Amino acid sequence: MADEVDPLETMPVSRNAGAVRWGLRAWFGVITVFLYMPIAFMIAFSFDASTTPGLPIQGPTLHWYDVMLHNRVLLRAVVNSVSVAAVVAVLSTVIGTMAAFVLVRGGLRYPNAMRVVFTLPIMVPGVLIGISLLIFFSRALHLPLSLGTVVAGQLVLTVPFVVIIVAARLQGFDRALEWAAADLGASPRQAIRHIVLPLISPAIMAGALIVVTLSIDEFLVTWFTIGPQPTLPTYIYTQVRFGVTPEVNAVATVMLLATLLIFGVASLILSRATRARRRVAPVRAAEEDA
Amino acid sequence: MSTQGVGGVLTISPASSPGRRSRRLRRLAPFVPAGIVLIGLFFVPLTVMLAYSFWTTNANLDVVPIWTLENYENFFKNATYVRTLLKTLIIGAAVTATCLVMAFAVAYFLARYISRRWARLALLVIIVPFWSSYLLRVYSWQAILGEKGVLNQVLVGLGLLSEPSRLFIYNDIGTYIVLTYVYLPFAVLVLYSALDRFDFTQLTAAQDLGARPDQAFRHVLVPQIRAGIITASILVLIPILGEYLTPSIVGGASGLLIANLISNFFKNALFSEGAAVGFMIVALVTLLLIAFRRYLRVEEVYARG
Repeated sequence: MADEVDPLETMPVSRNAGAVRWGLRAWFGVITVFLYMPIAFMIAFSFDASTTPGLPIQGPTLHWYDVMLHNRVLLRAVVNSVSVAAVVAVLSTVIGTMAAFVLVRGGLRYPNAMRVVFTLPIMVPGVLIGISLLIFFSRALHLPLSLGTVVAGQLVLTVPFVVIIVAARLQGFDRALEWAAADLGASPRQAIRHIVLPLISPAIMAGALIVVTLSIDEFLVTWFTIGPQPTLPTYIYTQVRFGVTPEVNAVATVMLLATLLIFGVASLILSRATRARRRVAPVRAAEEDA
Repeated sequence: MSTQGVGGVLTISPASSPGRRSRRLRRLAPFVPAGIVLIGLFFVPLTVMLAYSFWTTNANLDVVPIWTLENYENFFKNATYVRTLLKTLIIGAAVTATCLVMAFAVAYFLARYISRRWARLALLVIIVPFWSSYLLRVYSWQAILGEKGVLNQVLVGLGLLSEPSRLFIYNDIGTYIVLTYVYLPFAVLVLYSALDRFDFTQLTAAQDLGARPDQAFRHVLVPQIRAGIITASILVLIPILGEYLTPSIVGGASGLLIANLISNFFKNALFSEGAAVGFMIVALVTLLLIAFRRYLRVEEVYARG
């Protein structure tokens, strides 16, 4: 299909067509402003010298970033968040990738039912996962709440993400490559290690990065399963709920840019891999025809 | 896709010799850790919550296994609780409808009037805010809707308000605006992928055959993107049923939704009553998921590219 707009599709059929088109274009602009305005103000206010952020912005100042860097509780929360995210990312990438192999490569009697089961933790509201874990940990198991229970809780959300992302990639995997490896004497394990894993590694890496951002941002399950040690989101939440300190805007800006960066890299990896596969696909299709 | 499931049921191995069984077990082994996470940390805790909802909280605030329906009865006897549940459903429906209308116009523009390359870029522009922290996106609205916020300053500056007000924050309006903001990118993404598959020359053809533009729209376009409309609705409505953060940050005391009520029960150590309300929401969400399972394509939103 050509990339340009088919003139027939936009052929004016009524006298208002031009107006409709301009109206929609303006609407797209309005929506874009709507989506970016709050974030833009938050970033702007992080440079506001006034202690009650508002227009007109006084400053600019880096004062709040300085305050932020000297806030020990906050820095502790950052360390906690990063440690939790690292553990969660490693565990859920390994667990999720293993499960994705079984899900796609057969061996399961009800693969589609399993797919639905894996989307459940993503669709069930986080509050309910958090609360049921709170009951389970504190009342049924009598476990003290800690960063360990936070890791356990977050796995419920992150493992399904990895399974979905890696399974989507494995689905399109050309098994002829593995058979070729077997013909050349590779054991199934060697074929997986030297052929399959390198080829699906973009999906695994993107999955891991997405899990890192999910974990660093995660609030709901964390809020109900956390002990005395805060993570960054629970720290920000308590700050926001009980008296606003302007440095929250600075913290938020840094956190926003960091997570956007990680997520951006993840989707770049995924789309690059997809494009590389599309380039290979036509050749393969021609071979199959022959 | 769905026929595969049926095939799977029919091909249950006729005779599973010991050797075959152990090979099968070895093949399933990598699934075990994920199974433990899913069962041990998701299904079992939800089952415990379900059991708690039918048990009694005694005077020491301990939950004891005496079976009762009281937790559910108490909920429906209390007018405030029932009103909060109804309000959650109404706000959920209102936000879903608003998101659909706002997103449809955007998706229609992207799918019909600009080239696919530019549409991809525009979609990226719309999704990027969605990648960032949910908490921060909600928090950022405080500076706009609040009493000293940008919106009040602008309205007072224009002379539309005589003094800064609390019209937009700590009430249902605040919750409604912010929820619409949060879920709009979801709706645009899903509706665009539905409209992208639609051949717009069909609208022209319908009009050539004498349909008015609105008739062509209703009878030709809408039926073909119905699946997308339903997917978008569910992806917006279900999370709102469990919405906790937005009401507690911009909803204030009067803008609380059902999830905030649940959490209040737990704060007051009323575990069994909280579990009852929690389970009602889980049941509602599960019913919606089962009823609309054919339209659930989570991959489309999360695993693009």
